[in-house]
Amino acid sequence: MEIGTLIAAFLTLCIFSFLYKDNPFYKFAEYLLVGISVGYFLVTAINTTVMPKLILPLFRQGNLVYLIPGLLGFLMFTRFSPKLSWLSRISLALVIGAGAGVSIPAVMQAQIMAQMKASMVSLVSINGIIIILAISTTLIYFFFSKEHKGWFGGTAKIGIWFLMVFFGATFGYTVMSRVSLLIGRMQFLLGDFLGIIK
Amino acid sequence: MKLFEHIKDINKRVIFVLIALAVAIPLIFKIGLPSKVTKEVKQVYQEIDALEQGSPVLVSFDHEASSLPEIQPMAEAILRHCFSKDLKVLGLALLAEGTAIGDEIMREVAEEYGKEYGQDYVFLGFRPQYIAAILGMGEDIHRVFPEDYRGNSTDELAVIKDLNNYEDIPLIISVADGDMPTYWISFAGARYHQSIATAVTAVMATSFYPFLDSGQLVGLVGGLKGAAEYETLIQKPGMGSKGMDAQSMAHLMILVLFLLGNVTFFMGRKKKT
Repeated sequence: MEIGTLIAAFLTLCIFSFLYKDNPFYKFAEYLLVGISVGYFLVTAINTTVMPKLILPLFRQGNLVYLIPGLLGFLMFTRFSPKLSWLSRISLALVIGAGAGVSIPAVMQAQIMAQMKASMVSLVSINGIIIILAISTTLIYFFFSKEHKGWFGGTAKIGIWFLMVFFGATFGYTVMSRVSLLIGRMQFLLGDFLGIIK
Repeated sequence: MKLFEHIKDINKRVIFVLIALAVAIPLIFKIGLPSKVTKEVKQVYQEIDALEQGSPVLVSFDHEASSLPEIQPMAEAILRHCFSKDLKVLGLALLAEGTAIGDEIMREVAEEYGKEYGQDYVFLGFRPQYIAAILGMGEDIHRVFPEDYRGNSTDELAVIKDLNNYEDIPLIISVADGDMPTYWISFAGARYHQSIATAVTAVMATSFYPFLDSGQLVGLVGGLKGAAEYETLIQKPGMGSKGMDAQSMAHLMILVLFLLGNVTFFMGRKKKT
C-alpha cells in the first residue's frame, strides 16, 4: 500500500472520530487542513501571479509600469500599521471602484434583466401560472411598507409557502451533496485502503 | 408507546452508525437501482455531442479540494465525452485548489484516450481575480495565459495557438462547488454571448435552475446523481454510477429517521396535552 493512501486513511479516520466526540486527532487533522490550504493558496498565488505578473516583468524585463500596481498592492499591507492604514484606502478605492464599474452592468443584464424576461411567460400553461403566482406572492412577502394583514397578509402567506418549497428543495439537495461526500470517503476507505470493493 | 420514548432518547451516534451502514452496505453488495437521465443533464450531453470534431471546449475547474467526491465523477464523465468526440480541451482553474486537481483529472482522462498534451488538450493553470480573468479571455486568451501550467508558451502549443478569445470557443463548462458559474454567466455569457454549461455540486444546483430556465445556461449536471446520469449517457459507468445505490439507500435511511423523529415528536406533544 502506498504511503499516501495510509496518510489519507489516517486523516479521514481522524476527522470521522469527531462523530464520537471532539478529540486531539480531529483537531490535528482540522488544523493540518487549514494550514495546508493556506500554504497551497499562497504558493499558487506567488507562482502564478506575483512572479509572472510583477516580479519578472519588473526586474527581468525592466518594465517600470509595473511599479504602479506593485505599489498599490504594497499599500494594502499598511493595514497592519494603525498610523499608516489610511494609505490602504487608495488601493481599496481602486479595487471597489473598478469592480463595481465592471460588475454592475453585467450583473444587471445577467441576473436581473434576463431573469425578468424569462419570468414574463405566457399564462396559458400551468407552469406559467405557477411562475407568475410564485414571483408576485413572494415579492409581496418581501414588501415591508404595508402591514401583512387582510388580503395582503394572505397573499404574503402564499409567498411563504413558495419560499418553503424552495428551502425544502435546497435542503434536499444539500443532504444529497453531503451524502455524496460521505460516499466518496467510504469508497476510498473500503476500496483503496481496505480493498473490500473494487 | 415505550418504543417512541426510546426513539426520542436515542443517542446520535446510533444515527451516525445507521447512516454509515446505509452507505457502506450498498457499496459492498451492489443493488443496481435504476437511474433516470434528466433533461438538464441530457442538454449538456447534446451540446457537447453537437460540436464538430476538433472544436475547442473550455473546462474551468472552479472548486476546492473538499468537494472532490462530487466534482471528480462529473469532471471525468464530461472529459471522457469530450475526448471520445476528439474535441480539443482547454482546462483552467479560477480557484487555487482546483489547479492541481484539474490538471490531474485532465491528464488521467486524456491518457485513457491516448491524447497528447499540447496537441489535443492543455491545462492553463490558475488565475486569481476571476472577473478580470473571465473578461480578459473575452479579449485575448494569450494575454491572460501567456504560459500554460507547465510553463510552455501558449503561442506555441498547437491546441491553443490559433484561439484568440471566446469567439473561437463554442462552449465553456464550469465545474464548480460554489457560485463561480454565476460569474461565467454574467461576464462571459451576458457580455460575450458565450454558451455556458455547468457541473455543480448538488448543494448548489437549485441556485442554477433559474439560469437554465432563462436560457443563460445550456445545461446543468448536478452532483453525484448528475455524474451517474452522464455516465449512463456516455455508456461508461464510473464513480458516479457506483455511488448511486449508496446514495439512494442513505436517502431512504434519512427519510425513515425523519419520519420516526416527527412521529415521536407529535406523539410526545399529544401525551403532554
